[in-house]
Amino acid sequence: MGVSDWFKERLGLDDLPFFRTPDYMYNVNYWLGSLVAAAFIYTVVSGLILLLYYNAEAGYSSTEFIIQKVPYGSVILYSHLYGAYAMIILAYIHMFRNYFAGAYKKPRELLWIIGVIMLVLTLGTAFLGYSLIGDALATSAVDVGEGIISSVPGLSIFIPILFGNYDAGYYGRVLAWHIIFVALIGLLFIFHFFMAEHYGIMPSRKVKDRAPAVYAREEWQKFNPWWPRNFVYMMSLVFLTWGFILLIPNALAYLNGLPQQLNPFLNPQPAPPPNSPAAAHITTYPPWFFLFLYKIADFTNDVLIFLFIGVIIPLLYLILVPFIDRSPHLDLKKRRLFTAFGILMVTYLIQTTIFGDLTPGVEISIIQQIIVYLPPAVITLVGVFALPTGSNKKAIANPLGILAVLATSILFAGALITFVVSPSLLTITAFTVFALIFVLSIRNLSPIVLKSEGEHRDAKAVLEKPENRELKKKIAEILISILFILSVVLASQLWVIPSTGYLSNIFGIDLGSIFIMLGEAISLYHYVVYKR
Amino acid sequence: MIKFRLGNDEEMKILDYSDLVFFRKLTNKMRDPKTRFDVREFINRGEDYLFNYTNKNVGGVDERRRKFLKSLIFGMAAAAVVGIIPGVSVLVPPTVTVATGFPKSLLIDSSGNPVKASSLPVNSPYIMVFEYPMTGEPNFLINLGDSSGRPVEINPTKVVIPQTGKTYDFPGGVGPNKSIVAYSAICQHLGCTPPYIHFYPPNYVNSGQLTASEPDQLTAAALLAARQANVPALIHCDCHGSTYDPYHGASVLTGPTVRPLPAVILEWDSSTDYLYAIGSVGVAVYPNGSNGIPSQDPTEDLSSSFGTSVGEKITVSQTENPFSS
Repeated sequence: MGVSDWFKERLGLDDLPFFRTPDYMYNVNYWLGSLVAAAFIYTVVSGLILLLYYNAEAGYSSTEFIIQKVPYGSVILYSHLYGAYAMIILAYIHMFRNYFAGAYKKPRELLWIIGVIMLVLTLGTAFLGYSLIGDALATSAVDVGEGIISSVPGLSIFIPILFGNYDAGYYGRVLAWHIIFVALIGLLFIFHFFMAEHYGIMPSRKVKDRAPAVYAREEWQKFNPWWPRNFVYMMSLVFLTWGFILLIPNALAYLNGLPQQLNPFLNPQPAPPPNSPAAAHITTYPPWFFLFLYKIADFTNDVLIFLFIGVIIPLLYLILVPFIDRSPHLDLKKRRLFTAFGILMVTYLIQTTIFGDLTPGVEISIIQQIIVYLPPAVITLVGVFALPTGSNKKAIANPLGILAVLATSILFAGALITFVVSPSLLTITAFTVFALIFVLSIRNLSPIVLKSEGEHRDAKAVLEKPENRELKKKIAEILISILFILSVVLASQLWVIPSTGYLSNIFGIDLGSIFIMLGEAISLYHYVVYKR
Repeated sequence: MIKFRLGNDEEMKILDYSDLVFFRKLTNKMRDPKTRFDVREFINRGEDYLFNYTNKNVGGVDERRRKFLKSLIFGMAAAAVVGIIPGVSVLVPPTVTVATGFPKSLLIDSSGNPVKASSLPVNSPYIMVFEYPMTGEPNFLINLGDSSGRPVEINPTKVVIPQTGKTYDFPGGVGPNKSIVAYSAICQHLGCTPPYIHFYPPNYVNSGQLTASEPDQLTAAALLAARQANVPALIHCDCHGSTYDPYHGASVLTGPTVRPLPAVILEWDSSTDYLYAIGSVGVAVYPNGSNGIPSQDPTEDLSSSFGTSVGEKITVSQTENPFSS
């Protein structure tokens, strides 16, 4: 306790304008931002280590050099890649969670906009970092990027500024921009973080269901101080994130011969260089986080239309949404249109990414596009608007009823596709009929979903019996002891792993496991010490 | 363990010894003037104040338990740090092998098999190139023959450097017929590389080439020089017309070059039929004199002798046929 107090006094931790957190917020749902930040910090640190070895004048060979010759180089490189992957995925999750929570509303508009800009910068950084490998996939991705930029009139002046002499093998510019973009993210992160601390984590909708959703100073003063509880909780999340960033890619490095479709998602190794004979045998696809853009490029020959669909419209929407959705309601049912847009964005993002993975570079006709993209839109819009506001209606609460709803939704989707493929009086009639049945059945089903959601929440709110909690705490303590023993065993094993070669990736697996166990132990400690 | 029974109701609540310690601590803290329990605050803020007060001054769990758990956590963190220590070796730069002499390198083809000397085509118009002694420095690999396509034995000879007037020894051809030679493929005039500088087999060294289109063309001076020197084939640079005699150590036949092409010393292993590059003679590839005047000792840059075994392999690539027909 003495050490902790010493730090508290020296650093003035209690006086910092850090948000005091109520008990119910110790749930990862409220801490997604810290996961993104953990991934960001990991990637920065590992990137700085890579900077000691990377030679921008010989991108591919220095990548190979790092993997094969540098001690634990492959561990660092693969986890740098997956740290970036984790950051992108977690940023999306963080953003969409806050979108559905309505966290972009007053007073958090600026916080939201800075977040969207950080997402764009993150994707840009990831693209530039990916280009630094210099393998066949990276060079073709740069070619596609250059093609897109140069086909917009007036933009081609940016190609040499951004890429320098990339085609001749000089990656110095790309490396510099990669680092500059990271610096920008870091700068914006400081603003994002302190604004978030200033407004406080957004309260649960049960506590505040209208914007502006903030705790007043007097309310907030009653909550748990930042030090040491928030710190302890944060460290458990940080170590878990780092653990998975280390564990997953280094385990995947031992996976060989993945099918082509899984390669963009699960392969940390670089592809062959572009000038080797092996490069002729691989299908080029962009990094997974740009597969959706790559697919949209197949929809139209007009680059401007492509840019509007794939980049400008979604971005403008995300930036402007705090000003379009001006109602104070945070309830999803009271802002149905925006709920629908959110669901559609997630659906389309995932759908188009998979679509791009399955048919890389294959052109898609308008009819096929409609078949793929219309049903989710109709189903989402109908589904969202069919939800009743009150839940006093009687619901079909049996398995048969749910099965019937499932059947009608499949029939509905089928009828829609049939109508699109061959529009006629017959098909439109069938479609109308099935649409009606679908709307009616979903209206009947929805009260169950809403009700069960409500019950679930209530169940959580019920206090546990103290004896039960004591038992759970005892179990947690035993678990911490087991984790301690395991981590000591693993740590001693780390010393005998060769620093280069085939076995060196086990280092990443083991160290990742220790981090995960440490994170888990801290989380158990938090439970034992703070849970009431 | 000591237990106390509380009251006599149906549930029979039992008070643990640790609970008793907790209560004693709490009451002590409440009385202590330093951390006195503020009753007025308690009335204002209710149980929140009590919870916070208790949490701050006594703690929710018994102190020994908490200390034990904390030490386990710090132990795990220490284990992580101890585990990372070998990982810090990522910061130690790996040692790079420095060449102190010309390496001995086996010539292999693009599929990784060693090049067989007896199966090298004679007078091939294809540019066969390998990089030696460093990457980015191409050399020709040529199996020389006479005008009817029979391999010709290439004898050791003295090669004159027109620029300085000095001479050096060219060791001659290798292989079963002593007809295989290797020369630098960087023109000594202005540094043109293949396909601009390339080998002209005998069937391309005739007056018909004077008027032939671009890649096949020979200058009249080159043709005349070939006649006078009585050599059936040439190395000619299309850039500015420098011509070299491959039969006599790539000596200069016509300008503008003032230096012969450096020769790669080959070694032929008669038992396996493999070819090795072991060194280089001629004007130094990296002139260390002033005004671009070359050193005459090719080993001046590198301290020791030829063929230091580094165990490298070099790929010979058959890049292209520069002739249109």
